[in-house]
Amino acid sequence: MTGMMIVMIIVALALIGWIVARARATRLGIEAGRLATNSRPSQHGWYVALWTALPALAFLAVWANVMPSLVLDSVLTSPAAQSLPADDFSRGAILSEAGAIASGAQTAAFNPQSMSLVEPYRAAYGRYSTIGAVLAAILAFACGAYAFSRVRPSFTARNRVERVVMWTLLLASLIAIITTAGIVASLLFESLRFFSMVNPLDFLLGLKWSPQSAAMGYGNEDAFGAVPLFWGTIFIGAIIAMIVAIPLGLMSAIYLTQYAKPRTRKWMKPMLEVLAGVPTVVYGYFAALTVAPALRNLAAGIGIPGASSESALAAGLVMGVMIIPFVSSMADDSIAAVPQSMRDGSLAMGATTSETIRRVLIPAALPGVVGGVLLAVSRAIGETMIVVMAAGLAANMTLNPFASVTTVTTQMVQLLTGDQEFDSAKTLAAFALGLVLFIVTLLLNIVALRVVKKYREAYE
Amino acid sequence: MSEAVLPMSATPVATSRAPTDWNGEAMRRRIALRYAAERRFRLLGLCAVLISAGFLAFLLISMGANGARGFMSTQIKLPVDFPRSPIMIDPAMLSTNPDQVLANANLPQVIESSAQAAFGKDGDDYISSGAVAALRKAIIADPGILTRKVTITVPASAGIDLAAKSDGSEADEAAVVKLEQARALSTGFNGGFLTSSDGTDPTVVGIWGALKGSLLTMAITLALSFPIGVFAALYLEEYAPRNRWTDIIEVSINNLAAVPSIIFGLLGLAIFLNMMHLPRSAPLVGGMTLALMTMPVIVIAGRNAIKAVPPSIRDAALGIGASPIQVVFHHVLPLALPGILTGTIIGMARALGETAPLLMIGMRAFVASPPGGITDPATVLPVQIFLWSDEVGKGFIEKTSAAIIVLLIFLLTMNSIAIYLRNKFEKKW
Repeated sequence: MTGMMIVMIIVALALIGWIVARARATRLGIEAGRLATNSRPSQHGWYVALWTALPALAFLAVWANVMPSLVLDSVLTSPAAQSLPADDFSRGAILSEAGAIASGAQTAAFNPQSMSLVEPYRAAYGRYSTIGAVLAAILAFACGAYAFSRVRPSFTARNRVERVVMWTLLLASLIAIITTAGIVASLLFESLRFFSMVNPLDFLLGLKWSPQSAAMGYGNEDAFGAVPLFWGTIFIGAIIAMIVAIPLGLMSAIYLTQYAKPRTRKWMKPMLEVLAGVPTVVYGYFAALTVAPALRNLAAGIGIPGASSESALAAGLVMGVMIIPFVSSMADDSIAAVPQSMRDGSLAMGATTSETIRRVLIPAALPGVVGGVLLAVSRAIGETMIVVMAAGLAANMTLNPFASVTTVTTQMVQLLTGDQEFDSAKTLAAFALGLVLFIVTLLLNIVALRVVKKYREAYE
Repeated sequence: MSEAVLPMSATPVATSRAPTDWNGEAMRRRIALRYAAERRFRLLGLCAVLISAGFLAFLLISMGANGARGFMSTQIKLPVDFPRSPIMIDPAMLSTNPDQVLANANLPQVIESSAQAAFGKDGDDYISSGAVAALRKAIIADPGILTRKVTITVPASAGIDLAAKSDGSEADEAAVVKLEQARALSTGFNGGFLTSSDGTDPTVVGIWGALKGSLLTMAITLALSFPIGVFAALYLEEYAPRNRWTDIIEVSINNLAAVPSIIFGLLGLAIFLNMMHLPRSAPLVGGMTLALMTMPVIVIAGRNAIKAVPPSIRDAALGIGASPIQVVFHHVLPLALPGILTGTIIGMARALGETAPLLMIGMRAFVASPPGGITDPATVLPVQIFLWSDEVGKGFIEKTSAAIIVLLIFLLTMNSIAIYLRNKFEKKW
């Protein structure tokens, strides 16, 4: 009996409970008269259905976790298991292989011994899953019957059902906390393991990044200096991308809010937003296929040394374009928040529109714009696909935008693809980089939101 | 005009400043300069908008031009003389177990010898590895051809395909000229691109496997993130008491919305794969990871939609005796649903285009068959694009662009639905 089927049976039982309880409540309610009933018939139905389904499903969840060890115990006591090798490693390998064959995930065995264990495995598995299913069905029926026996006009089914709904809502909102805690815990835990192998100061201040040499056994010293990565990230995400995005985004926002006719604005604004909706892998492909070769040819043409086909400039330019709508909408919001009276005052003094914008609106909106730019930077440094596809892997510390640099996110992808052993410093380094990225983006966001909030309050 | 500045004389302090001559040469020049600056500034703004729009247009056009070719394929009419070919087949067996028989029938050799007979000693280089499948299909459709000489249309190799559609190497261009003189070339819509999966030969790859993986992943994401997101939004907006716990929930939701997507990949790797031992590369894990990423978006959109429902609706329902739960589920939620759905679709569109977290949980494996279920190894559209962009074969460039077109069409459709919903159901109270 498969797990899916027993769940279906429980759901079906719950449905029957709902129908029967509702019918009974309706009949009793009519007999007792409207005023004597506490809850509506369907609420009685829900009460019985919840009692039928929830305990049984909870039992199944527990059983699914307990069952593997029960199955293992009974397999180990079977006669075929007596010839198993004593050391834990090969024993575990044979057992897991037998389990995989028994459940159908694998068809042939590498180890002939595991074939002999398949039958005991299958038998134990079948036995325990049948026991689990029967127990769950009995539990569902018993709890449903208990709930059904409580259906009477004065019974407060509504309050009880609503309490369950309330708890469900609360649990759903707690998922956000659990996720945050999960992120922090997993990053911290793996990073601590990494820092037990590599000195945190060497990691944060070291100038040489070559995890491959560490993986090849040359030792962890001097291999995990992340400063070139930080520089590459800042160079691409906070310098080049912003040089593109800030002027274009700000001027677009100014043009669309101050100059464009409503009809133009109605078309132009969604078009800019399309730029934000294009998947980053498309930008990355565009940067690598079209922009990067063009830039390399340009650099070679004007004689810049060290031009690479994976240049910081290509990744930064394209990332800047991706960020334009983001900067533009933040600037739009903060310009719109400047009180109309300030604008009117400036215009009444005889200033032209551009003078008003440059001398009055922008200075007044500056904190909001700065906050928006900080948010944009935090998004740019966390961006992955563009830099993975268009920026290089060489950890250079260079000011030459045509040279290749690497970033934190690129290296994270690089470190975690390929072998997946979770005890080498090489893979754990990705989590340490992730922790740094998480903290930096979090700080940027907090500062940006504080700046924006303070500025909003100034005009309220 | 000069009267306008006269009030100066009303001040007791005598100034030596002469009244401004607004019609004077200097003043005219100054005003002209200021107006010129105004025009320049305006032009600058227009340029900024046009540059952004131009970039978008350039991106779409270059993808479109490359991708359109990816949907076309070049085919070669290959004459096959079965009685003389090295085919090893027993026609009697064909009706009982055709797959088995044809797999052992030495079909690649048949293609090779036929191509060499027809187009010279380089002939087999012109034919794609997908030709075997075409041949197999032809034999199954009509076993009678085994006794005579027929002409079968088979896909051309990547080099010929490129040379015929755009520009290939010199040898391939020459081969194309030769084939065209033999009237053996034709170009048609590449139906296989939409129905087959990843492969090593660009002429036979398709996106169906990745598309199915994407659909399964999105189904998991939606099934998890939509109920959780809506419930969390309802709780926070309608029931949550103002206390420290609620603040913590709100702060973590807002932070999650700003966490870089690759961090969610690390979370999925550490928790779902290493701790819970769920299968690698599976849509299940991908969907769960993306659900965590999409949930904050849905919560934030949901809260805004719920906030927009006027309090009078709640008061009226409470006033006639509805319980707080009934107020929300009978009245507030249905009214807020269009807004919530819009936010959900936008969040799902983001998740559909997301690549980085899926790379972290191993969805970058080479998967040559479409996934059968949510625990099978699979790949998704954006990851397929990434994988193909890494391929060295020149034929993959147009396939990558074609896959991008498919992805963009999906995103465009989803966003259009969101905009339509917003416009149709938007209510001004």
